[in-house]
Amino acid sequence: MNGKTVIPFGPQHPVLPEPLQLKLVMQDEKIVEAIPAIGYVHRGLEKLTETKEFTQNVFVIERICGICSFKHALAYCQGMENLMGIEVPDRARFLRVIWGELHRMHSHLLWLGLLADAFGFESLFMQAWRDREKVMDIMEATAGSRVIISTNQIGGTRRDISPEMLAKIVDVVNDVKEDIERVEKVFCNDYTVKHRMVGIGVLSKENAKLWGAVGPMARGSGIAEDVRTLGYAAYGELDLEPVVETDGDCYARMKVRLRELYQSIDLIKQAIAKIPEGPINVPVKGNPNGEVISRVEQPRGEALYYMRANGGKTLDRLRVRTPTFANIPTLLKMLPGHHLADVPILILTIDPCISCTER
Amino acid sequence: MIENVTNIPLESLLGHVQDMLFSGYRFITATSVDNGDGTIDVLYHFDKELEMKHLRITVNKQDEIPSISGIYFGAVLVENEMKELFGLNIKNIVIDYGGHMLLSDEELDAPMSRQITIVNKDKGGEPQ
Amino acid sequence: MFDMIGNIFKNLGTKPATRCYPFEKREPFEASRGRVKGIEIEKCIFCGICSRKCPADAIRVDRNAKSWEIDPFKCVICGACAEVCPKKCVIMDEAYTQPTTAKDKLTYVQAAKEESQSQAG
Repeated sequence: MNGKTVIPFGPQHPVLPEPLQLKLVMQDEKIVEAIPAIGYVHRGLEKLTETKEFTQNVFVIERICGICSFKHALAYCQGMENLMGIEVPDRARFLRVIWGELHRMHSHLLWLGLLADAFGFESLFMQAWRDREKVMDIMEATAGSRVIISTNQIGGTRRDISPEMLAKIVDVVNDVKEDIERVEKVFCNDYTVKHRMVGIGVLSKENAKLWGAVGPMARGSGIAEDVRTLGYAAYGELDLEPVVETDGDCYARMKVRLRELYQSIDLIKQAIAKIPEGPINVPVKGNPNGEVISRVEQPRGEALYYMRANGGKTLDRLRVRTPTFANIPTLLKMLPGHHLADVPILILTIDPCISCTER
Repeated sequence: MIENVTNIPLESLLGHVQDMLFSGYRFITATSVDNGDGTIDVLYHFDKELEMKHLRITVNKQDEIPSISGIYFGAVLVENEMKELFGLNIKNIVIDYGGHMLLSDEELDAPMSRQITIVNKDKGGEPQ
Repeated sequence: MFDMIGNIFKNLGTKPATRCYPFEKREPFEASRGRVKGIEIEKCIFCGICSRKCPADAIRVDRNAKSWEIDPFKCVICGACAEVCPKKCVIMDEAYTQPTTAKDKLTYVQAAKEESQSQAG
């Protein structure tokens, strides 16, 4: 029989924290084709930004994503600063790195937990989220909120971190590092984990490039591209080497994220050691005019912002390309040939953020 | 303000995109901007080892735009999105949602486009 | 497999990571942006900057009626109003908004006695 069946995967599914539907065309147990249906959480935020003042937009932009909100605001602020020729104070640039890397840490720990949950390793899931909570607590203690921390503004940051708090951050990340070392052993060596991930969803270097994969997806396939190496914020003054794995399977992508956790801890410590004294923001004068593109590396990969202003208080256009938007086509190409049982793991290894994708 | 932008005519779009593929560029995304005078700018962003290049075409609303998703599969989502939100007439997208990727039937056509006149009485306090 | 068993035994031997919430509450952090508690209405000059800067349009300021109103269910607790207030009279609180059964708005009206003074000044 060559009859094909269509199985809808999602929008409600235990492994999906957000609504994404994939229509899987199956032949027996194998996937032949996958067609996504998105649009469940489209909020029209790009349109909303056209009605708000450009300084207010920071708050709108942050609400695009519930995980990497700081990075979204960072991309927007950096773009506007370039456009208006604002020189950001040094201290603010380092503060941005510290908060940015804390965000990466909590995002990756969240993802590790979800991954463990996806293959049914409940205690590992709890362990990863338990470690994440420490990061969330310093986020709240320094910035005022757990996730949408609202510390970026055009021209610098809204809050400063006191020296005592900086010392505390070092303590906490050292503590988290020990925790991660313990769960890393499980993630890397456990039989169940390996059985579900090694050799599944192999993405070759050529295909990753052709289909436009970004972030840990691309780095897991051997593409050493990390937008942070362009040296925005204070990354130019810190030691940074993109984390690369060459196998291109789910296991490699997980290892990239695990190693990026250590990299983030290292970057936070470097930034805290080097942070200069001084003001944290400069006032914004006038209105923006012209167009600009800004890129940052989010936990899930590269995000691109395009802004066009006309000299007024509101922007003409603000376009956001989030990393998941680029990774979904890659996922669609990767799925055919895999078993239905591997689909949850495959979807999770792109670290889907559907709210980001649809905005 | 943006570096490396090439303005190209609509007819040569596919040729230029094909060139980009041959020279090893990665497709990042496309952006459409309504100029407010009935024309729409479409920018295609490419990247090679963190160097960006952009192609810009300026089209009229009714112009037929060829899809580049046959060359770069990654353009599928963005082309559907532009088609829906800006009302661009993009032909031959590999996966074509026919205007229902993000929007449902009840919504307005091309909500991001400038030229729509919204009757405030019906919709109640919609901006613009 | 044995790596995880080590973790599990360690967790068994330590205190639970969670709190017994309604009985044991965590002290809010000093720097927390919990909620907009209200306004010191006698200081307010009804300039309306807070309502214009509010990204969620949660604040209504009426210059004639001398009233200041916030919808706590629209508020996104960004703290922009407290930051831009020229009199620094918007109060932020580190405790989160408590759950309620009704979506009430917080309204403050300046006393009539003050009216003549603020108009003169």
